[in-house]
Amino acid sequence: MEYRTVKIPDKINLPTMLDFYPLQTEKWTRVSRFFENLKEGKLTTTQCKACGKLHWQPRIVCPECMSDDLEWVELPKEGKLHAFVESIVVPLGMEQEMPMLVGVVDVSGLLISTKIDDAKLEDLEIGMDMELKVVRVEDGKQERYWYRFRPKK
Amino acid sequence: MRRVAVVGVGHTKFGKRDAGWRDLVQEAGKLAFDNVDNLEPKDIESFFVGAAQPERFAFLTHVAPLAAEMLGITPRKIIARTELACASGQAAIRYAYAAIAAGLTDIAMVVGVEKMFMPDMLEAQSNMTCVLDREWDGVNGLSAPPFFAMCAQRHMYEYGTTREQMAMVRVKNQKFASKNELAQFYGKEFTVDQVVNSKPVSMPLCLLDCSGITDGGAAMILVEASLARQFTDTPIYILGTGQASIGNLINGLPGLANWDACRIAAEEAYRSARITPDDVDIAETHDCFTISEIIEYEELGFCKKGEGGKFVEEGQSDIGGKVVVNTRGGLLGMGHPLGATALSQAIELFWQFRGEVPKYRYVDGAEIGITHNLSGSASVHSIMIYGRG
Ligand SMILES: [Zn+2]
Repeated sequence: MEYRTVKIPDKINLPTMLDFYPLQTEKWTRVSRFFENLKEGKLTTTQCKACGKLHWQPRIVCPECMSDDLEWVELPKEGKLHAFVESIVVPLGMEQEMPMLVGVVDVSGLLISTKIDDAKLEDLEIGMDMELKVVRVEDGKQERYWYRFRPKK
Repeated sequence: MRRVAVVGVGHTKFGKRDAGWRDLVQEAGKLAFDNVDNLEPKDIESFFVGAAQPERFAFLTHVAPLAAEMLGITPRKIIARTELACASGQAAIRYAYAAIAAGLTDIAMVVGVEKMFMPDMLEAQSNMTCVLDREWDGVNGLSAPPFFAMCAQRHMYEYGTTREQMAMVRVKNQKFASKNELAQFYGKEFTVDQVVNSKPVSMPLCLLDCSGITDGGAAMILVEASLARQFTDTPIYILGTGQASIGNLINGLPGLANWDACRIAAEEAYRSARITPDDVDIAETHDCFTISEIIEYEELGFCKKGEGGKFVEEGQSDIGGKVVVNTRGGLLGMGHPLGATALSQAIELFWQFRGEVPKYRYVDGAEIGITHNLSGSASVHSIMIYGRG
C-alpha cells in the first residue's frame, strides 16, 4: 500500500490551561491584587468589611453575608505546619520537582495548601514553624508569581 | 414520592482493558439489556451517563447522546451526563431515582463508564490533579494521593490509628477481590506486610493503599416500582438517599480527619429510609484509599469517632462482623473507573440480595445495604440505601 502521510507535530507547547498556575492579570481575574502583592513579597487575602470574615482563597463576594465590600489584608509571613506529605504523584509540567513535598500550613487560622521548599521529609513535623517564600513562575510568555512555604530559619 | 426499583444490571470486567470508551458503554449496556425480560433499548424513556472526565481521558464531551446512540436508545423524557468526580456514577443513579420518584419518567437507564488508561500515563495522573481546586490546591501538587495521605497523617495524629490498621483494609478487600473475576486485581491476595512494604506513593500511603487507575463500565435499569415485575421476579428497591457537601478548598473543609459531610449525608440517608446504622447489613463504601474506609466506618455510624482502625482490626467489617464492608473487593480490589464505581457498588447489592454472588462473599440474610461515595477533597459525600423488599 502507498499512503499519503498526514503529519501531526511531535511536540506542542504545554497548553496554558494545563500548566496548573492560575492566570493572574487584571484581564483574567478580579483578584489580580493577590498576585501583585505576592510579587512584593506579601501574602494577602480578602476580608469582609460587613461581617469581618477572613477568606481563603481571596474573593470578590463574601460567602458568609454576600457583601461585595471586601478589603485586602496582609497575612503573617509565618504559620504552623498542619499536615505534610512527600508525593511521587506529579502532574504534567512538574516532573522536575519530583519527589515533591506538599503540605498545609495554618496561617492565622486559615489552612493554606502549599509546596514545601528547602526541606527534606525527615526535617518536617506537625506543628513546626514555617515561613513564606515567593517564587517566580517562568514560561517564556508571561510573568507570574506563586507562594510556597519552608521551615522557618 | 413513588418507589423506585432496580430490575436489571450489567457490569464489565474492570482493569486495564484493551477497549475504548464507547466499547465499555456497549459492553455494559448489552449486559444490562440481556439481564432483563421484556425490555428493548427503545423502551428507555430517560438516560443518565455517569462519567467523570471523558474530556481529558478520551477527549470527548456531550457524551450522553454518544452513549445513547451506541445502545440504540432514543430518550424522550430526560437525557444527561453527570459529573461529580469520583461520585459521577452515583450522581447518575441519583438523578434517575429522583426523576422516577417525582413522576417525571417511569423507565430509566443509567450507564457509568470511565476509560482511564492512556498511552501516556503521566497525562492520566495530570487529569486527576484538577479534581481538587486546580488554581489554589492542585497547583500546589495536591491530587488525591497526597491529599488522602494528609488525611491519614492527621487521623494517626489525632486518633492514634496505626499504619497496620490501614493495611488491614486492603487485606480484607483484596481477599474478596482475589476471587472476583470482574476485579482489576483478581487472583491476588496481600498480607499486611506486603501492603506496608509496597512502593511509597504519598507516605504513609503506599501503592497497595491506593485504588488503581482503571477502565470499566456498568449499567442499571431503574423503573417505577409497580412496573418492576414486568421485567424481573426479583427487583431490589431504593429505600433512601442522603448527600452533603461542605467546602472544597482545603481551608473550607471541616477537617482532614473529620468528614462531617459524610456524617450529615448518612443521617439524612438513614432518616429517609427510616433505619439506623444498626440496621445496615452490608456496606459498599468508597475505599479510594485504605484510610478512607476507616474514616467512613466512623462517619457512617458503624463505630465511634476515632475507632475506625480498631473496627477493621477486630474484624467488624468482615464476614461475620457488625457490618460487612466491600464484599466485591472495594475500589482497592476492583479498581476505580470513576464513573462506573457507584454502579458497581449498587450492582454488588443487587446480586447479594438476589443470592447471585458466590458463597465466599455472600452475606446471608442481608436485607439492607448502603452505598457510599466521596468525591474531590472528600468535600462531597453521596449515599444511597437499597433493600431487598
Ligand atoms: Zn461577609
